[in-house]
Amino acid sequence: MLYIFQILNGLGLGMIYFLISVGLTIIFGLLNFVNFAHGAFFMVGGYLCYSLVALTGSFWISLLIGPLIVAFLAWVSEKTLFHRIYHLPHTFHILVTVGIALILQESAIIIWGPIGKNIAVPQELQGVVTLWSFAYPVYRLFLIAFTIVIGMILWFLLERTRFGALVRAGSESAEMVSLLGVNIHRLFAQTFALGVGLAGLAGILSAPIRGVHPFMGVEVLGIAFVVVVIGGMGSFIGALMGGLMVGLVQSVMSTVWPEGASLMIYGAMAAVILLRPYGLFGRA
Amino acid sequence: MSKAILQIENLSLSYNGFMAVNKVTLNVAHKTIHSVIGPNGAGKTSLFHCLTGVRRPTSGRVLFDGKEITHQPAHRRTCTGLARSFQITSLFQNLSVQENLRLASQGRDGDRALVFWRSIAGRREHMEMADSIMERLGLTQKANIAAGDLSHGQQRILEVGMALCGKPKLLLLDEPTAGMGVEDIPVMTRLIADLGKDYSIMLIEHNMGIVMSISDTITVMSQGEILVEGTPAAVRTDERVREAYLGEAA
Amino acid sequence: MAGPFVLPGGSNLAVAATLVLLPLILPSPTLATEILIFAMAALACNLLLGYGGLLSFGQGMFFGAGAYLAAIAMIHAKVGLLVALLTALCSGALIAALVGALAIRRTGIYFVMLTLAFNQTAYFIAYTLDGWTGGDNGLLDVPRPPLALFGHIFSDLGSPTAYYVFVAVVFLIIFMASGRIIASPFGSTLIAIRENEARADAVGYNTRHFKIVAFAISGAITSLSGALYAMLLNFAPLENIQMSESILIMTVIGGAGSLLGSLLGAGSWVIISDILADIWPRWQILMGGALILVVLFLRGGIWGGIESLLKRCLNKKER
Repeated sequence: MLYIFQILNGLGLGMIYFLISVGLTIIFGLLNFVNFAHGAFFMVGGYLCYSLVALTGSFWISLLIGPLIVAFLAWVSEKTLFHRIYHLPHTFHILVTVGIALILQESAIIIWGPIGKNIAVPQELQGVVTLWSFAYPVYRLFLIAFTIVIGMILWFLLERTRFGALVRAGSESAEMVSLLGVNIHRLFAQTFALGVGLAGLAGILSAPIRGVHPFMGVEVLGIAFVVVVIGGMGSFIGALMGGLMVGLVQSVMSTVWPEGASLMIYGAMAAVILLRPYGLFGRA
Repeated sequence: MSKAILQIENLSLSYNGFMAVNKVTLNVAHKTIHSVIGPNGAGKTSLFHCLTGVRRPTSGRVLFDGKEITHQPAHRRTCTGLARSFQITSLFQNLSVQENLRLASQGRDGDRALVFWRSIAGRREHMEMADSIMERLGLTQKANIAAGDLSHGQQRILEVGMALCGKPKLLLLDEPTAGMGVEDIPVMTRLIADLGKDYSIMLIEHNMGIVMSISDTITVMSQGEILVEGTPAAVRTDERVREAYLGEAA
Repeated sequence: MAGPFVLPGGSNLAVAATLVLLPLILPSPTLATEILIFAMAALACNLLLGYGGLLSFGQGMFFGAGAYLAAIAMIHAKVGLLVALLTALCSGALIAALVGALAIRRTGIYFVMLTLAFNQTAYFIAYTLDGWTGGDNGLLDVPRPPLALFGHIFSDLGSPTAYYVFVAVVFLIIFMASGRIIASPFGSTLIAIRENEARADAVGYNTRHFKIVAFAISGAITSLSGALYAMLLNFAPLENIQMSESILIMTVIGGAGSLLGSLLGAGSWVIISDILADIWPRWQILMGGALILVVLFLRGGIWGGIESLLKRCLNKKER
């Protein structure tokens, strides 16, 4: 029974990882941009949740507005900074976004202090439900259901809308899409905002469970890259499967040998890069 | 007749069943300029890739200086004296002309260049080689200019010079005039003709004018196979060549 | 990334002068020692990034390994100072050669992620082996043995100044050796590989071998600096392994592709942190900003900026 508990936890964690990684992977796929600041935006999402809840008293408002604010921040930074360096080699993307991540992290400490914060589970979702023979927190069930819905909306957006068609076509050849008369700069900015907004959303959703602290961005960035690399850079399904795999491994291992989980997932990433360079679900 | 420097025997290369090169047999004699021409898609570049080691041939053999090199990796071929130029200019753009040539000459040392405790000055011969090649290319004036700052024509010439630095027994030149302006082409033609006195050269070329004026032997390829081989005069008057090219010229 | 720049009269002299001046200008010899230790780590990072074009997130692993292995050798095998440093140097070279050999099988972002993955793995291994490393608490009571050779003691290195002099001598040797390495056939080929790997391959170099040797040299120097750091603090913290990012930032801000730049980068990092640590603990925000500015506007880093200023002045004089 304990294992079902851990598997449900792993599912929730995995879906959080999916939300973060899918943003990273879309950005890499379309913009060919390596965003080492992705985790920092996740952290900003978490802190916005804290402040918005403190300000308005409602988790729901923060869930609605928070991702939009993060997406807006991302849009502004894309327009002012990142679009200038797309043409440079990945090394420069990494250096600039590492700089941004450092600035965001230190700013968070200036604004919210160096010690982490806890965020209460919204009233409507407090308590537990009895599943079979054990009690499971309602909020965690909500988290799983909500992220599944978000995942489906995202899938619809990417597979069934004009925007999604452009993103997918642009991932194949950005030049082609711009030749079709599409404003590629706008498309890039929108995609960047969407991808980073998803990281912000993940930060808000995980805040009531894990709390927030200034260094959560760094931790999650490593995981997000593991997921993306294992799943295959630029692959939606890869981000989903990779996220769930990493989430489940971490959750199940957490009771047995927590450090072993990290060893396993980083080891798995190295193995995938060396043996299957395009990931388990990526295309060559 | 002395033994050929390069012997290609029954060489084939297929991509998913498409025969890009089909049972080609060809010999390049010492100190001659041997050109391979043919319309687009004739298999010239595929043949070239098999010789440089970029592609593994599906079947057949390549013998260089009497030794089989069919499956040797690219960097090892360079050490044995088989040098190539690139169709697309590929230089160390931010390094000086002299340093480009010195590095190319040093390439012959292979892993012996891993010495990190010696000074470059300890290997005088590479510097001297660079200087003598610059002299021959007419680039001495430009010794300290970054390769990327040269004119396009000069970059193409430096590209050939890079291949020369390996003291090659055979020079493989892949469309050395590709993308060159009309005014630069005669310079390159003269250079290749001049090099033909001292080196064995295999030239892959699209430009008929150059090939006819400087080649000793011409092989015409079409659809992966050898159509005709002979002296420029013989090829010029051959009916089959005219047909193969007429199809394209139309 | 700026090309190699030769100071008239040799940058070695300039560095030697700096080494003499540093402890006189700075408030404490310990601070000066710290600068030199990080400058060594940045120098090693620079060999990979500035000359080889290889962005490695594995530098922290080499730094940490040097600290741990030297400390373990001194604590458990009771070896002396020079043997401990030699242990760090050799094992650093070995570890880095192994990591490098695996990582360079891929290029670009995948290469970077591999170095990151190995670094994280090393972190968790060090965390798990707490019997040897002290785990989360770090390895305490790292000794600083006297400088002795064949039973003859030259100095007990007990005072901060004595230790500074020792580190300064090591630094000068490493700096001069690095200059030599860059001007060697190996160094010039490494630059060629950074410029155009396909071309380097075509003129006859097995580029993999060159990259592996670059890793080994970089790992050796980084481990050496890690060992010196552990002796400075008498402590080897687990966080050493997470230093990769800081070392990278020092290197880039100082100037990737110039050895003096690494000294400048490490110097400004350590001095700024020392001055601001008490007044404004969030000083790293400046480093983030500086990193972005350098990538956008001053690719040669601080040294590149100084260099172009110097050139402009010289040109004016000539006119």
